[in-house]
Amino acid sequence: MKLTRRHLTLAAGMMTAVALTAGALIASTAQAAPAMGGAAPAFTGVTAAGGEISLADFAGKTVVLEWTNDGCPFVQKHYATPPANMQTLQKGAAADDVVWISVISSAPGKQGYSDAARAKELTASRGAAPAHVVLDESGAIGRLYGAKTTPHMFIITPGGELVYDGAIDSKASSKVDDIAGATNYVAAALADLEAGKPVATPVTKPYGCSVKY
Amino acid sequence: MRRIRSILTALAAGLCLLAPAASAQLGGPERYAQSELISERTSAAPGETVFLALKMVMQPGWHVYWRNAGDAGLPPQLILKDTSNVPAEALGEFLWPLAHVLPVVEGEIMDYGYDDEVVFALPLTVPSDAVGEVRIEATADYLICEAVCVPETQDVSLVLAVGEPAADVRSGDLISAWISKVPAPFPGEARIDDAAAPWTLSLAKAGGFPEGARLRFFPFEHEISHPAAQPQREGPEGASLSLTPDRAGKVGEVLAGVVRVDAPGAEPVGYEIRATRGGVLAGTADRAVADAVVPEAPAALGLQGLLALAGFALLGGLILNLMPCVLPVLSMKALGMVSAASSGHAGELKSHGLWYTGGVLVSFAALGGAILAVREATGFATLGFQLQHAPTVAVLALIMFAVGLWLMGFFELGTSIQNTGSGLASRGGALGAFFTGVLAAVVGAPCVGPFLGAALGAVMSQPAPGVIAVFLAMGFGMALPFLILSFVPGLHRLLPKPGKWMETLKQAFAFPMFLTAAWLLSVLAGLAGAGAVGWTLAGATTLAFAVWVARGGGMIRRGAALAALAIGFGLPAVQANVPAGPAPGDVAAEDYAEDAWSPEKVEALLAEGRPVFVDFTASWCASCQVNKLTTLNTKRVRDAFEDANVAFLAADFTRKDPVIAQELKRRGRAGVPMYLWYPAGESEPQILPELLSQELVIGLAVGG
Repeated sequence: MKLTRRHLTLAAGMMTAVALTAGALIASTAQAAPAMGGAAPAFTGVTAAGGEISLADFAGKTVVLEWTNDGCPFVQKHYATPPANMQTLQKGAAADDVVWISVISSAPGKQGYSDAARAKELTASRGAAPAHVVLDESGAIGRLYGAKTTPHMFIITPGGELVYDGAIDSKASSKVDDIAGATNYVAAALADLEAGKPVATPVTKPYGCSVKY
Repeated sequence: MRRIRSILTALAAGLCLLAPAASAQLGGPERYAQSELISERTSAAPGETVFLALKMVMQPGWHVYWRNAGDAGLPPQLILKDTSNVPAEALGEFLWPLAHVLPVVEGEIMDYGYDDEVVFALPLTVPSDAVGEVRIEATADYLICEAVCVPETQDVSLVLAVGEPAADVRSGDLISAWISKVPAPFPGEARIDDAAAPWTLSLAKAGGFPEGARLRFFPFEHEISHPAAQPQREGPEGASLSLTPDRAGKVGEVLAGVVRVDAPGAEPVGYEIRATRGGVLAGTADRAVADAVVPEAPAALGLQGLLALAGFALLGGLILNLMPCVLPVLSMKALGMVSAASSGHAGELKSHGLWYTGGVLVSFAALGGAILAVREATGFATLGFQLQHAPTVAVLALIMFAVGLWLMGFFELGTSIQNTGSGLASRGGALGAFFTGVLAAVVGAPCVGPFLGAALGAVMSQPAPGVIAVFLAMGFGMALPFLILSFVPGLHRLLPKPGKWMETLKQAFAFPMFLTAAWLLSVLAGLAGAGAVGWTLAGATTLAFAVWVARGGGMIRRGAALAALAIGFGLPAVQANVPAGPAPGDVAAEDYAEDAWSPEKVEALLAEGRPVFVDFTASWCASCQVNKLTTLNTKRVRDAFEDANVAFLAADFTRKDPVIAQELKRRGRAGVPMYLWYPAGESEPQILPELLSQELVIGLAVGG
């Protein structure tokens, strides 16, 4: 029997097929959170105002990242007026030339998802004062930082170092009354940075609803 | 007038019926959980400690959280209101039943909690100056979530009469049942090796863990990453888990938490552990346990996901045509079918193609159905279980070896099913084409596992319709080439002509089969050790013997061959089994005897000079269950009793027993629990407090 090209092609095709399908599909998502004291992960995001911002744009300024979801009772607690906890922090930050970025990582169809129009309306109606609102509907920036809850706060030094990762304050609850008696970790960390001291409490357990990736 | 009245009445009645329906549509349920306070007692004596419970019944799909909610969430709490007539200190902490994982975002966000119904028992110490009634008014304050979270509160209350203790048997039974789900102290040793990441948590206990058990560690705090997988290893002494530390996670003095053990065919069991720092315990990390695809039932795949999987399955089916199992058979049968039909009418060719496809689809659907049935029966949610269950791996290896022998031509399958299939397939017409399809599917099935197992594993945990859809897609992919061949005229002319090359090719394919058998043997070695591999090789030899004996035909030879076949497959399957551990839930040393109480028995034991411990208990007595959990059933106490030769007697008051009732009355107690301690030789017992502690009981055993 003559070994024709067709036979060879057939055989080669079979071998490849066997080899390919013998491979196993193991999906592993290794979620490595950014290390404390290390460089904060660089990101670029679309803002509600319609532009694009990158973390690098704010080199030389302190940056606060706030993960938010307006439907989450824990976020509502901090935006409730009175006492307008989050808004006060944001205005204070603006006065101190600290860049406050609110990030919305809810996926389309999930609680808290906002397009640019809704995000702008939300900022206005809540009386919020972030420098920027980033629309992270793919969840890429959230996953980059390992954001798990709303609210989840991160603070980055002017040098680009991550110095705070955790809850907004010390009382994990959805009750507005608990704000007064709680220690506000964000305010404390910003004060430490202002005074040139290392942040006393760099990591705390964030509380809130899970981020709706 | 009357007519108008009746019309108005009918209208009003109709509106009344409509209104609740309308409000239900508009407003939704008032709350997603219903809470109530229940108690094991209707009355209690001053100074007594009795057990209450917060019972929560949740809407389907909604869940509340464990004492450690995990990445996101808040545990429920009971807050006493000022209108109660007991101080806040009178209420103790919740007893947390074993929770389960709530994967919020697979691999990224993980919580711990309860759904459906949960009962949190908590102790109430009745003030010693209480008179009349004890009034508990409290608020159940909890976060309840589905896809979104809602914080809810509900006012709950309970009134207990103060006076002679009287049981509330129904509530007591319920509370006791939930107390038995509270993780008991681990009756062995737990160690955490945090020298490097990932950490290793090793757990050693007498008899190890049951075969096939999957473990997971739930920390009380946040030292570890909650969503990270916890690869498990095991050995004769126990098991160990690889824990990924959280970003700033480090172990304090001990790593405290709960280990959940899910063993096939058994209720899940929890153990509370306090792991001290140190090296991995010997005999707990000898071999790896293959990961199940998912630890808990995941949400059903969306339509998109299912379509993607079906697409993969189709591709897999196409490739299945080229698998060593299938190709030799197909190439001969199907080519023969096509070339035979090509000499007939074009119309017949098409219909044969359709019937062939039908045969394949029906067989694959049947295969899918069979696997679903196995899944229902055994609770195995993954196809991967094929390669985790040692006897299955051994049998698969032997099948691969047998098929290799056949491909080499060492035997023809004479009057076997194979030929029955071919016989049917050689029947002309549509039926022949149908059975060719069935034959192709049957022959292809053993190859599906090893080669497509990983892809199938992803679909095995889905609901039944999804599974069948994927199997059908696979079948369609397999039938597709021949369907196309029969529909596109002239295409079959491109196929190689049958000839001797087919025989050579068939023999060549024996070698991939032998290689597959070798790979399966290596998997078996990892699962069950070298001994199992040895037995399987012996089985393979027996198979070769069966083949040799069957040559030459004749009843005796055939019979001998069949016997050898049975032994060849059966023995390795049995021997490959990893020795099973004792049943889960045996917190106490099993051989510790517990006798039924009677006054005569006490006398006899005292005469022998043994100390005696009598436990007056009942199934509806929640305090009794707590004492069993924290003290009486623990290894420390049982060991102390054994060392001191204490006789343990149990008086079960679940059904009213006049003898037991009389003893209770005699000792001045109106009900259970009651614990009597007779030191060796003493005829008058000490009456112990109704809430025991390990220190108290061990002190008695050692002292008396």
